[in-house]
Amino acid sequence: MTNAAPYPATDDTAATDDTWQVGDVVLHSRFLLGTAGYPSPQVLREAIVAAGTQVVTVGLKRTLAASGDNGFIAAISQALAATGARLLPNTAGCRSAREAVQLAHMARELYDTPWIKLEVVGDEHTLQPDMFELHTAAAQLVRDGFTVFPYCTDDLVACRRLLDVGCPLLMPWGAPIGSGQGLLNVFALRTLRERLPDTTLIIDAGIGAPSHAAQALELGFDAVLLNSAVAQAREPAAMARAFRLAIESGRIARTAGVMAAQDFAVASTPVGGEPLLLGGAP
Amino acid sequence: MTDLETITISLDGRPHSVPTASTLSALVSSLDHHPDKVSTAVNGLFVPRAKRDVCVLAVGDAVLFFQPIVGG
Repeated sequence: MTNAAPYPATDDTAATDDTWQVGDVVLHSRFLLGTAGYPSPQVLREAIVAAGTQVVTVGLKRTLAASGDNGFIAAISQALAATGARLLPNTAGCRSAREAVQLAHMARELYDTPWIKLEVVGDEHTLQPDMFELHTAAAQLVRDGFTVFPYCTDDLVACRRLLDVGCPLLMPWGAPIGSGQGLLNVFALRTLRERLPDTTLIIDAGIGAPSHAAQALELGFDAVLLNSAVAQAREPAAMARAFRLAIESGRIARTAGVMAAQDFAVASTPVGGEPLLLGGAP
Repeated sequence: MTDLETITISLDGRPHSVPTASTLSALVSSLDHHPDKVSTAVNGLFVPRAKRDVCVLAVGDAVLFFQPIVGG
């Protein structure tokens, strides 16, 4: 027996050489980070670095519909230059396949990447993805040469249809966007993992605490994408680091093999069949 | 300039006058946008940079400009 740990300390380094891929792109970090809602560009930059993320999400806005970005885009550019992270533009705000396809093309032109986080929302209250419009948009965008990251529900059959049209991965929600409720339907998520064993699965939305992210990785999800839980923390950079460690921990636990839960007690100390202190001669 | 020499389009949802036969490329320039820093759509359809020069604006066209922003 040795005390040597199978993995190096997770303090500030990736836990292992364990990687995952999107197409030909090999990624080490399993933490995709959103860039919205941070108190300042400096805090955003610090959070990106602390997260150790290799993928950060961005959006598009109508030029006259909002004021300037107040330096946030520059902060993202600086962080990307320092970390080598990639951009993942989204189609946030789209309510139809037609809108999403057009916005995706604009994103590809502006950000110079074929990656697109495809969002088509079907309900204003829950911001639940419209799986029908999503499917239509995904099919078109794949034909147009995009690498589509679909933000979807946990419906197994609908998810299969997204894979059928060429999505290389799936991003099911854990809970409604920004709710911080964690993984609300563990059964459905576990089913997705079991029924789609070779598909890259990323939990997107609803993660509120590092423990939620760890749970996602323990369930076998390949990565998590989150934003609000870091941006709204009192100390976003510290929270980004907490998520980084939790995600690494969850992944190591998944690889190590999490024990199966049981409905009965099983003594862990091998005391044999007789009580040690009661009965019998000394 | 008389009314005959201008037309009214919708720019990001607001009325906007441009010279008759203006191109989308000319509109981008007239608003001091760097051509590479905005993306454009006319009547809900993406117009790539390379096609702005040949996209002639008509009365009532709805033009949208987009630029990068933070996002989740």
